[in-house]
Amino acid sequence: MTQDQINTVLTNCTSATNTLNQLHASDALLRVNMGQEYESALTKLMTGFNGRIANNGFSNDILKAISSSYSGILNKFRSDYISYESNLSGAIKTNCLKQPTAFYTAVDKARQSRIKLHDDVIKLNEYIEQYRVELDNFEAEYIAATKGNK
Amino acid sequence: MSESTLEEIISFKNRHKFFVFITSSIVLAIVITTISMALYNSSGTAQLDLSRPGYKSVRAQSINEDSGFTAFSSFGELNPKVIKDFKTLYNQRTQKIKSVDAFGGDPLSPEALNFVTTDPALTN
Repeated sequence: MTQDQINTVLTNCTSATNTLNQLHASDALLRVNMGQEYESALTKLMTGFNGRIANNGFSNDILKAISSSYSGILNKFRSDYISYESNLSGAIKTNCLKQPTAFYTAVDKARQSRIKLHDDVIKLNEYIEQYRVELDNFEAEYIAATKGNK
Repeated sequence: MSESTLEEIISFKNRHKFFVFITSSIVLAIVITTISMALYNSSGTAQLDLSRPGYKSVRAQSINEDSGFTAFSSFGELNPKVIKDFKTLYNQRTQKIKSVDAFGGDPLSPEALNFVTTDPALTN
């Protein structure tokens, strides 16, 4: 870090710490609220419908595979949030007036883990969309199959 | 171990029964609490616990989404109406998820935190 950068960190130290504290609280709320939504999509919707299909003697490996991939990313989201929260807490605990370089590094570490967390969210949304598209395909296949039986 | 040493240990235990009991209770409590706290932090429970200090401002905004949302049952008939109903439910529920760009943006960037220095080369 250059002396200019160190000076900038020192000048904006208080406001940056306040921003981090606010972000820490708002992201925790986001984790709780959105975490419930992600969880519900899997346990209350996908799992239920996959079970209904299987219990009626049909099979749809694609829907099952999408749910399984979604579940994997959801687990990754949980662990990535733990890392992010730990890194952000580390940055908050670092005294930016006494250790501006360490503070800057800690903030950058937290930033990288937040980007990683956002990537998980994008993937979760992709799987949700894939499942929706596959539902349409399953519906079409189901109607075609049951019409043939009539 | 000689017979006299063994007798000394037994005698010490008998003389300090209460002290040994209290000390071992405290040690046991510390060990169990340490293990519990380690599990609390490493399992992700701590991150979901909004009753912790520092989360007071957002505590009231946590949503209990379980209200009014029952899980789609694995049991029951499968027919075109059931599939259609499920699709409607699925779209309703996932619409909210897709509408929120959770953890998006870049609030920790140097620009957002005003850590960017003015490059003299650009200002000249």
